[in-house]
Amino acid sequence: MENFEINSDQIDKIEKITTKEKDFRVKNLKLFQAAGFPNKNLEDWKFSDFKNIINNNFEELKCKSHSETINKLDLIKDFEHNYIFLVNGNLYSNNFNYEDINKIKINSYDKSLEHQKTDNSLIHLNHALADNGFSLEVEKNYKFKKVLVIYNYFSKNIKNKILNNKSKIKLNENTELHIIEYTINETHNKFINNSYENIYLCKNSKLRNIYLQKNKSEGFFYKFVKNQLSSNSNYLNFIFSSGLKFNKLDIECDLIGENANCNIMSALHLGKDEHQEIKTFINHLQPNCKSYQKVKNVLSSESRGVFQGKIFVKDIAQKTDAYQLSKALLLNDNAEFNSKPELEIYADDVKCSHGSASGSIDEDSLHYLMTRGLTRENSSKLLVKGFLNEIIEIIKSPTIKKFVETKFEEQIYGH
Amino acid sequence: MRQQELEKAKDYKYGFTTDIESIRAPKGLNEEVIKFISNIKKEPKWMLEWRLKAFNRLKSIKEPNWQKPKYPKIDYQNLYYYSAPKSAKDKPKSLDEVDPKLIETYKKLGIPLKEQEKLAGVAVDAVFDSVSVATTFKDKLTEKGIIFCPISEAIQKHPDLVKKYLGSVIPITDHYFATLNSAVFTDGSFVYIPEGVRCPMELSTYFRINASETGQFERTLIIADKGSYVSYLEGCTAPMRDENQLHAANVELVALDDAEIKYSTVQNWYPGDKDGKGGIYNFVTKRGLCKGKNSKISWTQVETGSAITWKYPSCILKGDNSVGEFYSIAITNNYQKADTGTKMIHLGKNTKSKIISKGISAGHADNTYRGLVDINKNALNARNYTQCDSLLMGNKCGAHTVPYIKNKNSSSTIEHEATTSKINEDQLYYCNQRGLNQEESVGLIVNGFCKEVLQQLPMEFAVEAQKLVGISLEGSVG
Amino acid sequence: MLEIKNLKASINERSILKGLNLHIKPGELHAIMGPNGSGKSTLANVLSGKKGYEITGEINFEGESLKAVSVEERAQKGIFLAFQYPLEIPGVNTNNFLKTSLNSILKAKGKKELDTLSFLKLVKEKSSELGIDEKILSRQLNVGFSGGEKKKNEILQMKILDPNLSILDETDSGLDIDALKIIAKGVNSSRDDKKSFLVITHYQRLLEYIKPDFVHVLSDGKIVRTGCGELAEELEKTGYKKIN
Ligand SMILES: Nc1ncnc2c1ncn2[C@@H]1O[C@H](COP(=O)(O)OP(=O)(O)OP(=O)(O)O)[C@@H](O)[C@H]1O
Ligand SMILES: [Mg+2]
Repeated sequence: MENFEINSDQIDKIEKITTKEKDFRVKNLKLFQAAGFPNKNLEDWKFSDFKNIINNNFEELKCKSHSETINKLDLIKDFEHNYIFLVNGNLYSNNFNYEDINKIKINSYDKSLEHQKTDNSLIHLNHALADNGFSLEVEKNYKFKKVLVIYNYFSKNIKNKILNNKSKIKLNENTELHIIEYTINETHNKFINNSYENIYLCKNSKLRNIYLQKNKSEGFFYKFVKNQLSSNSNYLNFIFSSGLKFNKLDIECDLIGENANCNIMSALHLGKDEHQEIKTFINHLQPNCKSYQKVKNVLSSESRGVFQGKIFVKDIAQKTDAYQLSKALLLNDNAEFNSKPELEIYADDVKCSHGSASGSIDEDSLHYLMTRGLTRENSSKLLVKGFLNEIIEIIKSPTIKKFVETKFEEQIYGH
Repeated sequence: MRQQELEKAKDYKYGFTTDIESIRAPKGLNEEVIKFISNIKKEPKWMLEWRLKAFNRLKSIKEPNWQKPKYPKIDYQNLYYYSAPKSAKDKPKSLDEVDPKLIETYKKLGIPLKEQEKLAGVAVDAVFDSVSVATTFKDKLTEKGIIFCPISEAIQKHPDLVKKYLGSVIPITDHYFATLNSAVFTDGSFVYIPEGVRCPMELSTYFRINASETGQFERTLIIADKGSYVSYLEGCTAPMRDENQLHAANVELVALDDAEIKYSTVQNWYPGDKDGKGGIYNFVTKRGLCKGKNSKISWTQVETGSAITWKYPSCILKGDNSVGEFYSIAITNNYQKADTGTKMIHLGKNTKSKIISKGISAGHADNTYRGLVDINKNALNARNYTQCDSLLMGNKCGAHTVPYIKNKNSSSTIEHEATTSKINEDQLYYCNQRGLNQEESVGLIVNGFCKEVLQQLPMEFAVEAQKLVGISLEGSVG
Repeated sequence: MLEIKNLKASINERSILKGLNLHIKPGELHAIMGPNGSGKSTLANVLSGKKGYEITGEINFEGESLKAVSVEERAQKGIFLAFQYPLEIPGVNTNNFLKTSLNSILKAKGKKELDTLSFLKLVKEKSSELGIDEKILSRQLNVGFSGGEKKKNEILQMKILDPNLSILDETDSGLDIDALKIIAKGVNSSRDDKKSFLVITHYQRLLEYIKPDFVHVLSDGKIVRTGCGELAEELEKTGYKKIN
């Protein structure tokens, strides 16, 4: 596919929109059309040439969203949970039986037109066409009793589609929520999922979020997350999204209140020609905030892992404590790891450091295990597991940890 | 007014100009000027063609804008591209024939050109504006078959070597400033170390920008033949002027089998005044090719001057087992900006690279480390170790670390570490308790912070560099 | 030499010294003992001029108030503090540090600075006097030094800088017997009728080698008892409990 054109009548097909909203969409569509899909000449896409990847993988692309009816929701049985079920991005059903319904507002996609300026054409495209997703708000002082699973279900018939969805999570003061975003993939076809998410953490709120896959997917995923962390808020994000053909997570966190705390932890094991990028941008805008990032990649076959992480510290953000580490194990010569850990610092009384390391499995460790009777292959597996386990170990709840571990192994070893 | 100037002169020790008549090419950049330069240097036809090719290329490319320091647009038509002291027309054969005023200038710069013969054992190829004026120690070097001369001379006397290697590391198509240099370069040094020869002394060039509105475009080419060794020193200073001056040099190094080149720079171009007025734009392309197996190229730089420094001395590690090193100290104060780092391109097997970068930022300055480590598919067992540390003094300055790391080989290992911090209060207190004042203490601790890099410098330079570190940070604590 | 009147010091809103009086005359050696956390190091820090403390009361050194005098000026006037935990300063050569330090003190006193050669001679002399291996002086300042080496290095610095008032904060802790003797020797050989010492210690052991003129017990920010050498012996037996 050489040129991807979107007709502006796509916007007319979106139901129930105001003129103001329509103008916003048209304006953004124009911006997208002027720029096209992002390519590697853009610094942010240097290691993941989206345009090229799309051109090589798609003959055609359609934008119309795809609604569908499913007979039976295939829910997780391992633990009790609330859920939001999205079908191809569309809010299909939700269930908060374990919670006080009055404290929770749930709606279809985020219709707000207030967005930060951007030069990211995928966000423009999203602003122009997104017509589903969800919007969740938790009332003051409410702490969730059970986990919320957000099922992201892609149906069998989806093919050569680009699905745009837009979501919002807002945690008001003194709230707490644990989420598992669980992607289920039924189609064997290629499609693109372009999502945009706004997360607001008000004072003293706490969000835990785990990205996980049920199964492999031929989908091409791009997700932009904008996080605003007010004072004393706490954000912890786990990324275990192995098994996607292409995935780029673009996470921006603005620490806008003192003592906010932001953690991003990732463990990925990529195979075949999978390509995953994690891009983070942590903005320390107020004093005494903390951010901690640890990204681990195991790369086999012809896979490619990318980490671009930036820490920005504003001049007034004294006493910032920011740390970032990316590590990769390359198991095959055709695999590749690219990283760009970046610091931009304007305050002097700070503790900021980053590290990045990549290499093969340590021969000495292999040797040690083999002297204890393990085969080379098993030794290697053990070491790989140990390498990634460090991240999974951080999960507190034993049931969730077990569940993640099982799913994760299914991704890696395919049973 | 006068008072002000005196103040300024105090700030910058090397701020003086020498009153020497100079020959200049007409202002501006066009084919005529390039022909003028080529003609005045009595260059062979192939050289002129080479320059014109670069010039044609230049017309079709744009100035890059990805770097962090932004600078006001340079009007390339408003610069002189050639400026030579008149008295250099009949080139001096020995030091005695050199214009005494020039010698005086060098003295002020602290290059004891004459005393060096006795004292330091350093051979100096001094570049005054654009023409090399004096080369000492020629005899001793000639004895060993070492060629150390101005590049313009090498173009005439050693055309085969020049033809073979010029542009082989930095192609004329490389990027805007490298291409610009290829079109208009005026002078610089040429070094050839024959097979198996260990150069018996440190070779050294002092650069200095004198004439105003002159861009200085030197071109240096160093070739270390099989099994040879050379250590080359480059020191830079420029007089103080209100307008910004452009310095866009190209330096190419080629190391053949088992050869080693050590290239050290202490850069102290005029940084501009306290309010950021004036100062040199130091846009330099430096690249070394480890062409042969077991070869080694090591860059060491101490960058304390210039309004804007923008350079990435790099190594292409092509030969198996070759080694690339980069040791850097960049100090920025007041309104200075530095965007510097290195590229280590690993192509051969068992290639190794090491990067140690120390950035210190004070006042309103901005200091960026930008680097690339690229391990290619065939670079089996390649290794890289990178360490970037930044020190911030005050919260009006910035420190940035932008490393690009690409690993395409599973048997390779890359390690990168970076930290940013301020000077440790307890260490300052300890020094104070031993009677050192604030500035001495800072100088001491910063020198300690930079130690790993300072160690790499040859003795003569190390002392000067240590002093510079202190001087550059004067007035930054309080 | 040193006169402290009703000294109160607090840090981070915690009051540590609570009205301390002390008078040290030229040539005297005073020992301070006291339970952990009683404020001994705080006293040493305050005397050295360390920032961060809220201070009231009077400190006079050689007849002048130290109130507005900075850390380095105090050092230049001849106040030396051997730290309880000497700091590591990476990359800084010990010899080089010492020379710079000595010369800034000489300069402040209006004396001639030493050139490298005479400096090295001095170092050699002093370190052999103390039986310290010179090699550690060519290493980075305290980096990788053992606990004992750091302490010895502090005493060597004291010898070289030749201060009028030396404050030793637990310089004897963590030392083997031989090292302890070295330190004692270092102090004793400097004692004369002009130089004064304030030695903070937990052990009577050290005081057997260097005889104090006075022993003070510091407890909860105040000197609660003052005596002579025997007081230390008594404390060794009974502990601090009985004192209050
Ligand atoms: N910066 C500070 N902030 C708060 N409390 C402090 C600070 N510095 C010291 N203190 C407290 O003040 C008290 C006195 O400390 P100091 O170090 O002077 O004790 P010390 O007598 O030297 O003890 P030791 O015998 O263990 O060395 C301790 O309780 C200590 O925790
Ligand atoms: Mg103590």
